[in-house]
Amino acid sequence: MNVIGWKTLIAKESRRFMKVPGQTILNPVINTALYFVVFGYALGGYLRELDGVPYIRFIIPGLIMQSIIQNSLLNTASSLFVSKLQGTIIDLLLAPLTAFEVVSAYVVAALARALTVAVLVWLVASAFTSFHVAHPAHALGFALGVGVVFALGGMVVAIASNNFEQLNLIPAFVITPLTFLGGVFYSPHALPRPWSTITRANPILYMVDGLRYGLIGRSDTNPNLGLAIVVGTAAVLGSIVYAMLHSGYKLRT
Amino acid sequence: MTATTSKDLSSAPAVETIGVAKRYPSGVEALSGIDLRIEPGEIFALLGPNGAGKTTWISIVCGLARATGGSARVLGLDVVKDALAARRVVGLVPQEINFDPFFKVREVLRFQQGYFGVRRDDARIDEILAALDLTAKADAGTRELSGGMKRRLLIAKALVHAPRVVFLDEPTAGVDVNLRRDLWDYVRELRRRGTTIVLTTHYLEEAEALADRVGVIDKGKLLVLDTPGALLARHGARRIKIKLAAPLTALPAELAALGATLEPGGLELSCPVATPGLPAPPANGQPAPAEIRRVIAAVAALDASIAVTDLRTEQPTLEQVFMALVGHRKGAAA
Repeated sequence: MNVIGWKTLIAKESRRFMKVPGQTILNPVINTALYFVVFGYALGGYLRELDGVPYIRFIIPGLIMQSIIQNSLLNTASSLFVSKLQGTIIDLLLAPLTAFEVVSAYVVAALARALTVAVLVWLVASAFTSFHVAHPAHALGFALGVGVVFALGGMVVAIASNNFEQLNLIPAFVITPLTFLGGVFYSPHALPRPWSTITRANPILYMVDGLRYGLIGRSDTNPNLGLAIVVGTAAVLGSIVYAMLHSGYKLRT
Repeated sequence: MTATTSKDLSSAPAVETIGVAKRYPSGVEALSGIDLRIEPGEIFALLGPNGAGKTTWISIVCGLARATGGSARVLGLDVVKDALAARRVVGLVPQEINFDPFFKVREVLRFQQGYFGVRRDDARIDEILAALDLTAKADAGTRELSGGMKRRLLIAKALVHAPRVVFLDEPTAGVDVNLRRDLWDYVRELRRRGTTIVLTTHYLEEAEALADRVGVIDKGKLLVLDTPGALLARHGARRIKIKLAAPLTALPAELAALGATLEPGGLELSCPVATPGLPAPPANGQPAPAEIRRVIAAVAALDASIAVTDLRTEQPTLEQVFMALVGHRKGAAA
């Protein structure tokens, strides 16, 4: 294993987002904090409680999960796609790095960004509510696992896309709707049938609900089923990215 | 002269491609079986018109493209089966300029060292920055560099991990004359240290000045492969150029008999003096060959009707060789 090369790629990918912290860290934290203020405070006053949990506490895990999803996806997708566009991808293709080394380095850097945002959002939200964490292992497991899933997803999208329009396709028309319909702001069983059943086909629901179990100890789904879904999705996406890089799909002619 | 200034311990050639072919899914055949062997320590120039397949061949050897036939090795390492080991010993300066606007020059070079598993070595980076006249820009963002500087940064990136085989795909495009000479010196210096250099270039004088051997490629096929001297002797023609005070409307029969031609405008006569195997100028003290004496005699005999203002010889150049081989192509430059 090319350890120096691997560490270098992690350092480079991390420094990339650290050079523009306003855009990569602060902006998502403020956006999420605004959701928190508007939905939690302004509207939460009317909703008060959801299944015995104060609404403002109910939405925190969902908002954190939303930040993890967006930031891990954005970090790999934009970095990889822009380097394809600028031609700097050639540095990676010429370097003696295996497909595994490249994938894991991108994922580690994306996790660094997503978890930084997540922790900041959690700190801000907790300052208004409570710093208590119900199941720390589950909370950490879901945060890391989902970060890996979407970092890998971002790589698939970046490699497969030929232009910005395609790059945006899956995040805008699949991920964002699934996230909003994934129980960030409501409990799935609050939906009328058949929607309460249909919504269970949405994998993001299990991710949001799993983190909710970890942070506030309340869930509608089995958190272990959630973890299995996260690990399974990561395995599938990981295999796809590995195969793409190993074969040089759309990267080597 | 084929140079073997540095001895390679393993007897493997620096680069060897056997029947390397590349056919794109569209059916376009970019390379149709290139056999090429480049010795360690050699400076090798690959010439050919645009679209001839030079970059495709380099891309295959560097692992950026996959051959659809044949095999390629670098220092005995198969570029597919031993891809990682082969990549470690190769440095490539790509033809297209690329840069990551996020980082400074020094950062870019540190990353590049790291990718190749080389521990951070700022002394090496400083040496390369100095050699490429980029020291003043070490802490500048890549976006601030001029076009020529960006190209030199690409060269620095390709060299920073001390590769044993360096591919330079149009390294001096957009680089001014002074710097081009400096780069040539640096290329020679690299060769002295045992690096093998493969270059493609648009400047045929560059190939003539630098290369130990030259390969000319066109339409995916290798047309010739030899030392510049041998190519000049075989394909080049020496000419006597005679400038006239007043334009001629017709070529005098005496000169036409010697194969002379009248340049457009009628102000210059051009007489071939083919001297196979003797590209050296007559200024070396040898007696002028019979052909030259005949041309001069014919001009002297015509002295009453034409006024000569200048007389010079034109030595065979690689450009002539190149045009003779692939001159059928429009805009054929290397």
